[in-house]
Amino acid sequence: MSGSGEHRTLTDYLLYAWGVLVFAFLFLPIVVIILYSFNEGRLLVAFTEFGFTPFRAIVERPQIRSAVIVSIQTGAIAAVLATALGTLAGVAMARRPGRWVFWFVLLLLLVSVTPEIVDAVALLPWLVFLGQDVGLGIFDNGVVRLVVGHSLFSTAVVAYIVRARLVGLDAQLEEASADLYASPWTTFRRITLPLAMPAVLAGGLLAFTLSLDNTIISAFVQVSGTTPWPVYVLSALRSGLRPEIAAVSTIMLLLTLLSLVLVWLVLRRAGDSDTQIARTMTGN
Amino acid sequence: MPRPRFLLAIPAWAWLVTFFVLPVATVVYFSFGYKPGLFGTHATDVLSLDRYREALSPTFFTTFINTLRVGILGTLICLLIAIPMAYWMAVKVSPNRRVFLLALVIVPFWTNFLVRTIGWQVILAPEGWLSGLLQSVGLRDGPLAILYTRPAVLLGVVYNYLPLMILPLFVAFDRVGPALREASKDLGADRWRTFTQVTLPMARPGIIAGVLLVFIPLMGDYITATVLGGARGNMVGQLVASQFQAAQNWALGSAMAVLLILVIAVTVLVGAAMAYLVSWPFARHRRLRLADLPPAEART
Repeated sequence: MSGSGEHRTLTDYLLYAWGVLVFAFLFLPIVVIILYSFNEGRLLVAFTEFGFTPFRAIVERPQIRSAVIVSIQTGAIAAVLATALGTLAGVAMARRPGRWVFWFVLLLLLVSVTPEIVDAVALLPWLVFLGQDVGLGIFDNGVVRLVVGHSLFSTAVVAYIVRARLVGLDAQLEEASADLYASPWTTFRRITLPLAMPAVLAGGLLAFTLSLDNTIISAFVQVSGTTPWPVYVLSALRSGLRPEIAAVSTIMLLLTLLSLVLVWLVLRRAGDSDTQIARTMTGN
Repeated sequence: MPRPRFLLAIPAWAWLVTFFVLPVATVVYFSFGYKPGLFGTHATDVLSLDRYREALSPTFFTTFINTLRVGILGTLICLLIAIPMAYWMAVKVSPNRRVFLLALVIVPFWTNFLVRTIGWQVILAPEGWLSGLLQSVGLRDGPLAILYTRPAVLLGVVYNYLPLMILPLFVAFDRVGPALREASKDLGADRWRTFTQVTLPMARPGIIAGVLLVFIPLMGDYITATVLGGARGNMVGQLVASQFQAAQNWALGSAMAVLLILVIAVTVLVGAAMAYLVSWPFARHRRLRLADLPPAEART
């Protein structure tokens, strides 16, 4: 394993074995879920025989279908919203630095470290207040509520990523554009945005995946009728898990993998190193 | 017309203030109120600290202590698993394979949190395959009885947050680079000494980042404890949730939420102070001032 043809010591072999063990640990439950999605039995936990019934159930049972559709819909809208807000903020932080950035980063930091359960219990009464006491009927809409809840953390993540990308790039092009009498809007649209594009796309896809994954906030703010997939699973926990849950999870896993590969390719083409990409993808 | 420098950040700022700052501030406000009768959720006409007293009464206090125990123990176990793992990935693996291994760490991290945890429920279930396997091999007499206990929650949180520890540590070890390690070797240090006195201290920012990234979300965990802990593996996250949902006591739930944030903040501060106090004498001891060295001829 060690480079340059050195002889391997016992420590090297032990480290190698440790790495293999940790990977086995990391993938064990995922492999189990994928295998159990081909379980013909009635309950998820007890594997009876191999078959495709759970996958057929996705198409046949309207509740499952609707939950998946709500999740994808919410994910798309939340991603667009968080990307728009986060990109503008990221550009401002990178190109218009000043004392305000300190306070703004503090706000983003607070958003990212507050436990999700606190966000969740805080949003529920707040959305009820806005919808019923203030009379903004839009906040009684299930998808709107989910989008609001999912957009908070994602906005902070997109802002970090876009800022990091632009800080690494010289502002010369934008200055040249301004010197050539382009309006600020033209400069933003034709120069800044294309420069930041890889980060914007990566941020958007991350926001989408974060939204697909979100369970706690969703469980609190959801309105019956627009239950997203993870909340459906959470409620199924109480009534007994069926193999369909594993089947949908397998499909969702493929969807997540696909968007991760896309993020990877986008950042790769933009010239990020693999280590940088890994950091971006974990939001730090 | 001069524009303020933060113009483009205003939409995000307004959005976060409306849907994060104001709601959380409301929760803080609610926590000073009370629950008026059976059907009300909260009232704030009389403000007091009584809900905090209630939240710290023995029944709930045990849960706070349990959560803190799981949080600290879970973070330490993650650290112990991740240090050799990240070191191996950053130092021992060839750069080409490193990309692949990084991707392998990221995949579980981006798999649905709830689904991964359910995967463990399937594995640990008394009627599941692991239980059957252990019994047929003869390692256990009866079915596996770990599900819905505190050890199961600990296993679950270590599993769920481990990638968050591995990745920053990997970045930190990667950044130290081979030059310093080789220099240390050339100066006569063995591998262990190089690791403990060069690589590990240099990786400190990564260790700090990893500990924070694991500890903070772990303390607020709700899903792992719900799926794997049952009634015996209760954590504060569930306590808060149940006050808002089942008990409909928003005032008490709010006080618990505020206390949760305070406990996290205080633990992080105490941890930082302790880490500083522990490392300070070492740093002093190890610092070498050139003026203190005897002249070259005296040394030889």
